[in-house]
Amino acid sequence: MSGSQSSLRGANRVLLVETLRRYGGLTQVELCGATRLSAATVSTIVRELLGAGVVETRTTVRSGRRAQLVTLARAVGLAVGVHIGERHLRLALSDSSHDVLAEQVLPLPVEHRVDTTLDRAALLVVDLLERVGSSLEDVVGIGIGLPAPVDDATGMISVRGILRGWDEVHIAQVMSKRLGRPVFVENDANLGALAESRLGAARDYRDVVYVRASYGTGAGIVLGGHLHRGFAGTAGEIGHVQVDPSGDICRCGSRGCLDTVVGSRALIEPLRGSYGSLALRDVIARTLEGDPGCRQIVSDAGATIGSVVASLAMAVNPQCVVVGGELAETGEVLIGPLRNAIRQRVLLNQIAPLEVLPGELGVRSEVTGALLLVLQSTDVSRQVEEVDVLAAVEGTP
Amino acid sequence: MDAGRTGGRGAPAPDLAAPAGATAPSTAPATAPSPPAAPVPLLALRQVSKFFGAVEALVAVDLEVHAHEVVALVGDNGAGKSTAAKVIAGVLTPDAGQVEIDGEPVTVGSPSGAHDLGIATVFQDLALCENLDVTANLFLGREVHQGLLLSEGEMETQTRGTLDALSARIPSVRTPLHQLSAGQRQSVAIARTLIGSPRIVVLDEPTASLSVVQTAEVLTHIERLRDLGLGVIIISHNMNDVRAVADRIVVLRHGRVNGTFDAASASYESIIGAITGASHAAPMA
Repeated sequence: MSGSQSSLRGANRVLLVETLRRYGGLTQVELCGATRLSAATVSTIVRELLGAGVVETRTTVRSGRRAQLVTLARAVGLAVGVHIGERHLRLALSDSSHDVLAEQVLPLPVEHRVDTTLDRAALLVVDLLERVGSSLEDVVGIGIGLPAPVDDATGMISVRGILRGWDEVHIAQVMSKRLGRPVFVENDANLGALAESRLGAARDYRDVVYVRASYGTGAGIVLGGHLHRGFAGTAGEIGHVQVDPSGDICRCGSRGCLDTVVGSRALIEPLRGSYGSLALRDVIARTLEGDPGCRQIVSDAGATIGSVVASLAMAVNPQCVVVGGELAETGEVLIGPLRNAIRQRVLLNQIAPLEVLPGELGVRSEVTGALLLVLQSTDVSRQVEEVDVLAAVEGTP
Repeated sequence: MDAGRTGGRGAPAPDLAAPAGATAPSTAPATAPSPPAAPVPLLALRQVSKFFGAVEALVAVDLEVHAHEVVALVGDNGAGKSTAAKVIAGVLTPDAGQVEIDGEPVTVGSPSGAHDLGIATVFQDLALCENLDVTANLFLGREVHQGLLLSEGEMETQTRGTLDALSARIPSVRTPLHQLSAGQRQSVAIARTLIGSPRIVVLDEPTASLSVVQTAEVLTHIERLRDLGLGVIIISHNMNDVRAVADRIVVLRHGRVNGTFDAASASYESIIGAITGASHAAPMA
């Protein structure tokens, strides 16, 4: 009896922490509403979590009255991760322990404009901070992921035409001027690689290729635990490897790039005749429902991407390939044929078959990578250690 | 927990999952080898006209909405967007033309008639009660009874389920409306449409006067409505918001349809051109 009661208590504790993560910060009254636990239970759990250092409280105002805002406790310094995708803007806020404190998604139009999107991103960053009762002063940096190769030296997109209208804009400068904090810009597949190799499916490996199969295809390469960007940040741009010498002209200017064969438009077009106009999300949803036509499209894409990744794997010899991006939500429908295409290459199988794994971080892998990029670039860990030392000196056990 | 809601929707996925949302956009070349067997739209306006004296609010408007589809109605002030919404919502009766549901001509005589036909509408003023809480607003006029008493627990559970289905961030379903932000109220208004399992949701200017974060929430709700298999009509001035969530964009100009665009391929410029009259879909008759 007492066993089941304590497990209920544990479950309620988890529920409360999850609720705080979803909303950012809530007062105790709001926590009762959101978790549907009694006021007494919430009060007890908050006190427990406060004692354990899991949550923090601060004074706030709700409908004109003073109230206690409960947020997840955070270690020094907040990081903001922003992923500007083809159709979605995703933001996440975390502390130096990589725990996501709050997040937000904004749907974006096709070929969204740089001015509107960056303006909205900046406003969302400020709002996300307000939600956890914090401000820009607590932010050590902002990481931004873009679906285009980024030159590390300038923080600008290094290949023209891939993200239309964004070429001339110094994104890091625009955002850091606006928000007054350091801004780091990186290719989104590189961020996914960083996240999956540190915290995700490839955390036990040192040499990793991360494939991001989305509206376009890209890859991030981690060698010896370090991200390999290349001279101008175009390492791993497999979306622009030629797969069809007589194919269509890509937006990059070359002919028959992988993206012209497995990019979202190329995937949707053959379905138009029998399905009408679908969005990439519909293709993924229908594949998961088992629709044969959509499964065919996705598994063919997997095989085509696999053949390109096989060549990349030959060049960099990773221990594992992690597959992420929206298309990877279809699971083995995409990854099965992709894995087979890679494993057909004899050289890759001489010592041990190359692992091909689905990503573990899902839609969050790119923002998580952006958070990691900020935290490693701003050296928060050292500050944390200092605080820990101080705490150890002052703390009474 | 949200079994009431999902059950109430009558598990629409399998029957609606068929060739939904399949209208060949008018901009696409007519070279498709075999045109898709045109599925019957959930809702269609056929040659609908509405006049107010000398004012031509709607002139022979054709509009189709399919399941799993978001259709945006855009245009200048006075282009007839809100009139079209009111015709669909049963507030106005068309002077000419036909409203069809599932291909069958229907008469949407009143807002409650529209509700019975599975059409739910959120007007710009939201029509919520400031002094009532979230649950009471969702079930206003459609309260769930248990004998003579209101079934508060059931309504609360359904409210929470509906808000979760929209991934709406409203901590307590017992918060009075006047304590919520403009964006949260819009969430409540959209959640209200889902009570009673509608098939078509009409949203009039859902993102007007909202902050960016509130806009983000509402646009996410619209995506969720589409995922739930509903047909959605949004009316908006904001081209960015419209293009973020719509599948098709229908431009109204002086009460006439001045172009239908595939949101995935149409440029801002061509849509703006149709709104301002720089381009004409058809000569004025």
